[in-house]
Amino acid sequence: MSAVTEPSRLATNKPSFVVCEGNEAAAIGVGLSRPDVVAVYPITPQSSLVEHLSQMIADGRLRADLMNVEGEHAVMCGLQGVALAGGRTFTATCGPGLAFMFEPYVRTPGLRLPMVASLVTRDLLSPQCVWGGQQDAMVVRDAGWIQMYCETVQEILDTTVMAYKIAEHRDVMLPINVCHDGNYLSFGVTRVEVPDQQEVDDFLGPPNVNWHIALDPSRPMGVDPLTGGAGGAGPRNFVRYRKGQVRGMQNALRVIREVHAAWGEKFGRYHAPLVEEYRLDDADTALVTIGSMTGAAKDAVDIARDKGEAVGLIKIKTFRPFPLQAMVAALAKVKRIGVVDRSVSFGWNCGPVYQETLGALYHTGKSIPVISFIGGLAGADITVEHFARAIALTRELQWGRDPNEPVWLNEND
Amino acid sequence: MHSKYLIVGSSHAALEAATAIRLIDADGALTLLTRDAHLPYSPTILPYVVSGRSQPDNVVLRNQAYFKDNAIAFVPGATVVSLDPARSSLRLASGESWQYDRLLIATGASPMLPKVAGLADVPFHVLRSMDDAIHLRQAMGQARSAIVLGAGLIGMHAAENMAKAKIAVTVVELQPHALAGYFEPKASAIIERTFARNGVTMLMGQTLRSVERQGDGCLATLADGTTITADLLLVCTGVKPNIGFLDGSGIEIDAGILVDDLMRTNLPNIWAAGDVAQARGFWGGKVVNGILPNAVEQGRIAGAGMADDAGVQPFPGAVPLNTYSFFGQQAISVGRSGGPGSEVAEGGSEDSYRHIVLKDGHLVGIATINDFVDAGIMWQLILRGTDLSPVKSEFIANPQLTGRRLMSQIWR
Amino acid sequence: MGKCFSTLQFHASRCDGCGDCMTACAQAKAKTDDHAYSRIHILPKIAGEDVELALCRQCADPVCVMNCPSGALTKNADTGVIDWADSKCVNCLLCTAGCAYAGIVYDAEVGHVSKCDQCDGDPACVKACPNEALEYRTAARIFNDYADKEDMFCRGLSACHGCNSELLMRHTMRKVGPEVVMAAPPGCVPGMGAVGYNGQTGSKFPVFHSLLTNTATMLAGVKRQYNRVGRDVLAMTIAGDGGTADAGFQSVSGAAERNDPILFICVDNEGYMNTGMQSSGVTPYGSWTSTTPVGGAMQGKRTEAKNLPIIMTMHNCSYVATASTAFLEDYYAKLTKAIEVAKTGMAYLHVHAPCPTGWRFPSGMTTEVCRMQVRTNFIALWEYDPANGLRFTHPVDRPQPVADYLKMIGKYRHLSEEQVSHIQHTVDDKIAYLRQLTQMAAERRPAPAHKVAVGNTVSA
Repeated sequence: MSAVTEPSRLATNKPSFVVCEGNEAAAIGVGLSRPDVVAVYPITPQSSLVEHLSQMIADGRLRADLMNVEGEHAVMCGLQGVALAGGRTFTATCGPGLAFMFEPYVRTPGLRLPMVASLVTRDLLSPQCVWGGQQDAMVVRDAGWIQMYCETVQEILDTTVMAYKIAEHRDVMLPINVCHDGNYLSFGVTRVEVPDQQEVDDFLGPPNVNWHIALDPSRPMGVDPLTGGAGGAGPRNFVRYRKGQVRGMQNALRVIREVHAAWGEKFGRYHAPLVEEYRLDDADTALVTIGSMTGAAKDAVDIARDKGEAVGLIKIKTFRPFPLQAMVAALAKVKRIGVVDRSVSFGWNCGPVYQETLGALYHTGKSIPVISFIGGLAGADITVEHFARAIALTRELQWGRDPNEPVWLNEND
Repeated sequence: MHSKYLIVGSSHAALEAATAIRLIDADGALTLLTRDAHLPYSPTILPYVVSGRSQPDNVVLRNQAYFKDNAIAFVPGATVVSLDPARSSLRLASGESWQYDRLLIATGASPMLPKVAGLADVPFHVLRSMDDAIHLRQAMGQARSAIVLGAGLIGMHAAENMAKAKIAVTVVELQPHALAGYFEPKASAIIERTFARNGVTMLMGQTLRSVERQGDGCLATLADGTTITADLLLVCTGVKPNIGFLDGSGIEIDAGILVDDLMRTNLPNIWAAGDVAQARGFWGGKVVNGILPNAVEQGRIAGAGMADDAGVQPFPGAVPLNTYSFFGQQAISVGRSGGPGSEVAEGGSEDSYRHIVLKDGHLVGIATINDFVDAGIMWQLILRGTDLSPVKSEFIANPQLTGRRLMSQIWR
Repeated sequence: MGKCFSTLQFHASRCDGCGDCMTACAQAKAKTDDHAYSRIHILPKIAGEDVELALCRQCADPVCVMNCPSGALTKNADTGVIDWADSKCVNCLLCTAGCAYAGIVYDAEVGHVSKCDQCDGDPACVKACPNEALEYRTAARIFNDYADKEDMFCRGLSACHGCNSELLMRHTMRKVGPEVVMAAPPGCVPGMGAVGYNGQTGSKFPVFHSLLTNTATMLAGVKRQYNRVGRDVLAMTIAGDGGTADAGFQSVSGAAERNDPILFICVDNEGYMNTGMQSSGVTPYGSWTSTTPVGGAMQGKRTEAKNLPIIMTMHNCSYVATASTAFLEDYYAKLTKAIEVAKTGMAYLHVHAPCPTGWRFPSGMTTEVCRMQVRTNFIALWEYDPANGLRFTHPVDRPQPVADYLKMIGKYRHLSEEQVSHIQHTVDDKIAYLRQLTQMAAERRPAPAHKVAVGNTVSA
């Protein structure tokens, strides 16, 4: 899939417009963020992202070091080294690659390294598959990374740049996965606006990623010595570190909002930072969505509205940290909900977003019926028709007709 | 003046004590007082200064740079006249006084003059200091004849030097043999014959009755009435410890300052070592063993003790020991030449000599001439009480090889 | 800090009493074959007994010097040799009374005492010895060069008694100095506190606790960033064999293939000694470990160790070498090269670390076990770079039987004769293979100096 990008345009002072796929939009966002080192290892459907980056570096458009390593595990490890030495980093992965990266991946938040990595979400094996799905991201939702799910190609570009600002914020200092759906966003081609490099430079500022933890002979320290165990200073030390991580996550809720607002002011594009409410204020029924499915879901909501049904939509952009307050505010407005997941929670017999929405509902102080919809697994399309059915089933809750089990949207496709 | 460590003397015992102190205490104030005006030298070198083989400025054992590098104050020309142990102080002839925390007396010995009628009225030489050596060398330049009174090591060395300088020398010795303290009569006889062959008149078992001045020289009369005239008279009849300044100090003195096995005197914070000290004899009693290796060992022990070196080893006991070169020949003597209950094995040829003394399988002494044995190994065999019974015949046949083998097996 | 000196070492058990050393000494000092002129005295051999020797020890507290009344004998502050000055000596022989070793003796042929002067640092006797019974040990220069440098670890690392990894770490980091980032994957190195516990660290330089699996790559990342900002920082690890050969291997292999500019030191204690002596990919055949136990159905490890350093040469690393802490000079020479190489490419050092705790031998024997590994050719000391190929740095042409090594170590106690024989065969095969590599290297290498060294090895 070739994008219609002219290399020189990245260097001009005015915003420019390109037509490109989501993976390239991510690459452009990375380029604008001027990382020191990009480590890559290809995996479907992420591959074109790292190919674009490699080409940008090869062309000299991006003056970053390119680490071609032998696997995703090495990708994350190499970048940890870079970050501990003070460099801004980027990589991207998905699915089995993320699984292979897991060992160092879960360590990054504990090291408080403000990395940015694209997660081009893909369903997890097995059954063997190479297509989109959010199972990979959902499996690591408690690994300590911030997760932001993009809806559009433009949002990928914008969020990738913003992610550096959020991750490197001193109150946060946590790694971020900018998630975009494999296939639907990774290869979806649209027109995007590319901000001016100077403007982005002003927005981001220079990286300062290892002020708190460094491998630097001018500031010698033991990085990550053994901590914990029973007795002595062990337990309280470990708790101190863990609580710091949790606090960083909670701080991120504020910082994400601030950065999105600043982005909107500077570049004129406002993206909902945590949760987007769509036609919700007078709705009694709402769908909860995440990621690129939201576009089709909004279409279905519009159709329902045209029919006079009071239907709205709640889109989750930031899933980690979980935007509890924003979700509670949105959920409080409606009487019944259908949550659409692109992955499953095996133990709960539902989707993970459904499960967490139930958690948020508790904080509204009211009990309303909710249905778990599971769709779009392994590259399956969730069409407007699927969402229309989801809306219909959700509205039926008002008459007490609750399926009491998840509804698998593509079960009969 | 005050010095944490104060050492009186500047020869082997004093210098080794200073070294031992500095091994433990790198910067505690350390001072060497010596009445001599020269940088440290060995009395043993003096015959060679006399002969001209060594130059006075070429025999310095420690130079100023050494003292500077080791932060040692070297004070020459300082004659100590009294010790006040109650005040931990010494008084010098200059009137200056020195306080100490730890004191080592290593003042050595001075020539002992025999009771010879008229000696006080004739010019004569002794040989114990550098100045003595320089004077004697000057005098030898003018002399054609000389009398050496005493056939000890100093006297014999001097006599040899004079003979080589074409001076007609007569050696007069009270004992029946030369070097009687080190060698038994057979060995002494070899040495005496060598001297005689080289033109030295050896008058052994003779007493000097009187001397009188004759021109610039002297006329000596022996007990048997024989008279000898000479341009030069050298008196080498032994030495006595330099302990005069200790009168009234309360320090215990016999033939020398009495010390224990760590070289401590009876007074607190006062040690003594070298020719001035009387320490354990290897075969019992306490002896003044005025030889250089003895001074070295005692100085090390004293210095270690002064610096509270936990590794200080007690003195194992004095063993007579000497090495002596004469007219190109070598004599070596370690230990005793005999004794009750000992057996003697003799060997050698026309121009060599070997005398081995064993008791109950242990080496008591060995003396050789022109038959090199490793004196250091023999000394160790005696000190260690090594049982030579299993190798007795080999040892007697070849003490050098057997000694080396034992060394390699036992303490290498 | 004081100074250390080179010394002549005599291995009595290797000496056959041939006397070639004395001939060489007499030639060097008096241009004659007459042993009477020799300053090294080999005593006539007695059948069945070790040969005895008399030779100057160049004592640190030389009694000969103390006993010298003329200042003719002095301890040379630069070389440590007891110098004898003919111009000052008066031939009094008191030095011979002071020496308990017959190291300075009267030489009737020349008319004065004589003693070994170590031939100004190139002793003729050592070169003449056909049995390596005489060795000129120059390792003292390590002390002289590095003793004043700061120990980069704090005191009290909690390594096991007799562990040579701590020795290696302290030596290595003292030489490397502070401009370094060091990784320590899980294993004995962090286990002894090098990275630290609960906020405190045992190291004075930047150090991190890498994963068992990622050390090389993480270092590569560190180095990338420092190269990018133009800072000269050595990125290195001291890793165990598990973190190198097993779980860590992919990372090591990837870094080696990329020739990432890092220094990778594998401390090979032949298993997971830190976690209870489990078997690893480099655990030798026959070894008892807690996962290759000895019982009725199994007598220790049933497969061979992989030859990791050779595998690393196949990656075209810029430098690969094996080392033993019993041969520290050899190690320092290799470490020096490796540090330089690691500025631009990957340097891999494979250092053997016999483990008293896990291998079951007395903790005082570690260095002797290290030495025996080399003497039996159980391990070979060599170095490799792509331009010059492989060359032995300490060829052992007449190795002792490997059984002499195995019997020192508890983990081999159960071995049957067949197993010992099998190990001997694999050792022989391994050396033969290495020799082929050295031959290949010699054939393509232009420098004649190298050819001589290799030739010696091959002819054995």
